Amino acid sequence: MKNSEKLRIPQSALSFLRSVAGAAGGLAIGLMICTIAGESPGKVLTVLVNSSFGSGYDFGMTLFYTSYFILTGLAVAIPFKSGLFNIGGEGQLTIGALAAAWAGVAGAGIESHALAILFATLAAFIAGGIWGAIPGYLKARRGSHEVITTIMMNFIAAGVTSYFTLYALKDPDSSQAETIPLSTVFQLKPFAVFNGAPMGGLIIALAVMTCVLHLVLRNSVWGYRLKATGENETAASTFGIAAPASWLSSMFVAGGIAGLTGLVEVLGNSHRFKIGFSSDYGFVGIAVALVARGNILGILPSAFLFGVLQKGAGSLDLETDKVTRDLTYIIQGLIILGVASDGIWDWFSSIWRKRNA
Amino acid sequence: MNAIEFRKVTKKFGGFTANRDLSFTVKKGSIHGLIGENGAGKSTAMKVLFGIHPADSGEILIEDRVVRITNPVHAMRMGIGMVHQHFMLAGPETVLDNIILGHEPGRVFVGRARAEAELRAIAKTYGLDFDRWDRPVSELSVGEQQRVEILKLLYQKSKVLILDEPTAVLTPQEVKDLFGNLVRLKEEGKTIILISHKLKEVLGYCDEITVIRRGETVGSRKASETDDSELARMMVGRDVSFTYQGERKVFANMSDAKPVVRVSRLSITSTTEPLREVSFELKPGEILGVAGVQGNGQSTLLRALSHPSLHAKNWSGEYLLNGRDQSGSDPIVLRNAGVGLVPEDRLSEGLLLNQDMTENFLLGQHEDPRYSKGGFLLRTKARAVTESKIKEFDIRPPYPTVWTGRMSGGNQQKLVIARALDPGPSVLYVAHPTRGVDVGAIEKIHDAIVQERNRGKAILLFSSELDELMDLCDRMLVFYNGGIRAEFARPDFDPWAIGRVMGGGDR
Repeated sequence: MKNSEKLRIPQSALSFLRSVAGAAGGLAIGLMICTIAGESPGKVLTVLVNSSFGSGYDFGMTLFYTSYFILTGLAVAIPFKSGLFNIGGEGQLTIGALAAAWAGVAGAGIESHALAILFATLAAFIAGGIWGAIPGYLKARRGSHEVITTIMMNFIAAGVTSYFTLYALKDPDSSQAETIPLSTVFQLKPFAVFNGAPMGGLIIALAVMTCVLHLVLRNSVWGYRLKATGENETAASTFGIAAPASWLSSMFVAGGIAGLTGLVEVLGNSHRFKIGFSSDYGFVGIAVALVARGNILGILPSAFLFGVLQKGAGSLDLETDKVTRDLTYIIQGLIILGVASDGIWDWFSSIWRKRNA
Repeated sequence: MNAIEFRKVTKKFGGFTANRDLSFTVKKGSIHGLIGENGAGKSTAMKVLFGIHPADSGEILIEDRVVRITNPVHAMRMGIGMVHQHFMLAGPETVLDNIILGHEPGRVFVGRARAEAELRAIAKTYGLDFDRWDRPVSELSVGEQQRVEILKLLYQKSKVLILDEPTAVLTPQEVKDLFGNLVRLKEEGKTIILISHKLKEVLGYCDEITVIRRGETVGSRKASETDDSELARMMVGRDVSFTYQGERKVFANMSDAKPVVRVSRLSITSTTEPLREVSFELKPGEILGVAGVQGNGQSTLLRALSHPSLHAKNWSGEYLLNGRDQSGSDPIVLRNAGVGLVPEDRLSEGLLLNQDMTENFLLGQHEDPRYSKGGFLLRTKARAVTESKIKEFDIRPPYPTVWTGRMSGGNQQKLVIARALDPGPSVLYVAHPTRGVDVGAIEKIHDAIVQERNRGKAILLFSSELDELMDLCDRMLVFYNGGIRAEFARPDFDPWAIGRVMGGGDR
């Protein structure tokens, strides 16, 4: 008892340390698997590190992927506070990105850069938000399970974006399935240090946004309502917190944030909407939120970790003989397992206690 | 012969000693009561016996032989069975399948026919009749589910049956049936250990009673040689009174006082427990009791009064609070209008169990200008007030950062009551304030309620404990079939007359 009092660490810090240790454990096991595959773990690690941090361009790309995962991770973590599991990040982000591309077409007359960015941001947020709010509404009104409805909304989103990309917003000068390119006022400029990687001030804005969201969810009445609904819907309702309002608002904000992917991809990278630009970033967001244990601030390091793995995946294909990008997916899976296996820690502490008893 | 004997059993969890040198004997073929306050270590002792938490030191004897029980399967093989407070049943499965689960008679096939025949014989022997073995358990009443649990133990040929707080979830009629069954089981030679903190029940049906306080045995008494005040003193460690001993302020001109709450011809239809044309007035400085057998409209009345907007569709009638219409209001509006609420079930309706005391204290007050400003919570202040309430109500453990799910029932309830009283409400709706609460805490909660009355608050008290209502109330409404069947006024509370009206008869 005395020992544990001496070593008392704040719960949140402890939880963070556990996540880090879990992630490290997962990575270690992943590297062991390389050995079985016949590749030296040292080489794999070197490739991963070099690929993510090796040059200004590499690091810029890592941050580029990180920015996706911050958004999609938040889109899972926020509804989770109110007890909902949002699997619809993928659909919400495609709709948001399409809306950003639409804003570029509809706002072709805008001349101010700031105004153009604001317009596109609003379009992406609102479109994604509505896409997220629909399952929220169905849950509130009809009790439809959000896991089912958000997944179905992903398919609908894919259909809707295909239509707009192939017909309404199609770029007549292109043979690809993509929308009309944005004018330069709508384009986000990358930092020169990143040597051509499509990443600029946006990553800073996203980090600030995450911190603000953390404070808002923790300290605001709205955040309290979400938490109370997520914890005990009946008790919340008995004391005047209506679950439908919590569900609707958390899903709107989550969808909106997923929709901001439009800024990363459309405004920052390809300057148009391309079908299939997202390689399941919305689903990776579930893993990001899981590794962050639903903690809003934890999304930042977690998204960065997944950014590194995403960036390294391509290089593993090229620079090693025996392993491919699939290894990074194995590592991702092992990291999630490592972080999620809470029971291990209780097991450790019970052994520790027995030894000290 | 002794069925069970504990010799100096000690069980520690980390630095916390749940049982210290616990010693007592349970005679074969008796009903043995194990009583103590919440958290005294009764359940731990039984979990030690059942092999869930093996003891750290000490000996356990079964039929006078020292045994070492390391897991529940082992315990079951030794003839010990346990009915947990929360039943361990698979809802969608049938009664039969639930009973034989893990003990199917056949090797390849289940052998349901054989099992059913055997069960019929058992049920007949012990008088636990069941007409349909193929009904899903989820369709049964709580009392019937409990009977399934008991049958499960009998089917496994348990000789010692442990029942953990078996009456907490039962209606009075079901309680009567349960004890009838237990007496029959005893007559057939079974040994029963009853964990409880209801003194009346253990005194009425047990042969011998062992009292535990803070993990230690205080002593054992024959039921015929003790009484409730001795047991309560043993449990709490000081004298406890079962009736309110403090001052009861007399208000002059009660008949002229303006009512705080006025309900007239309130009906809530299309629910499982409808309310029919209920009218009453609640005045400052009085405690108005709501009595009745569970399910006669009291729950609906409480929900309607505390959350009218939820019943807007089925609402008819008038609900005035200080002269203002409240039909259609939500709980936040009512709170601002001066309503304090202690809901029926603190676990499902009153608390966020994975949150600390401060967060729970804020529930329902999160929009109160004292605790929030500009859409943000004033947590530092809420925490300071929570700390002062912890002192005022003697809530334990006394730290605002403790999760409420880890607190005992009595302390949880004190927090719920402290929260209801915090804004200095003009009217209080209090439901089952002492349900599942031990004697020491009951005294404090009763004191707090009457003191609020003395301060001129209007209190509507819902309870299934007639003794509690008779002790605290100024007037009492008896509900039957969704309506008020009779009204009684202090001091003319005749329990027999009230009981007759509760059953639908006349006074």
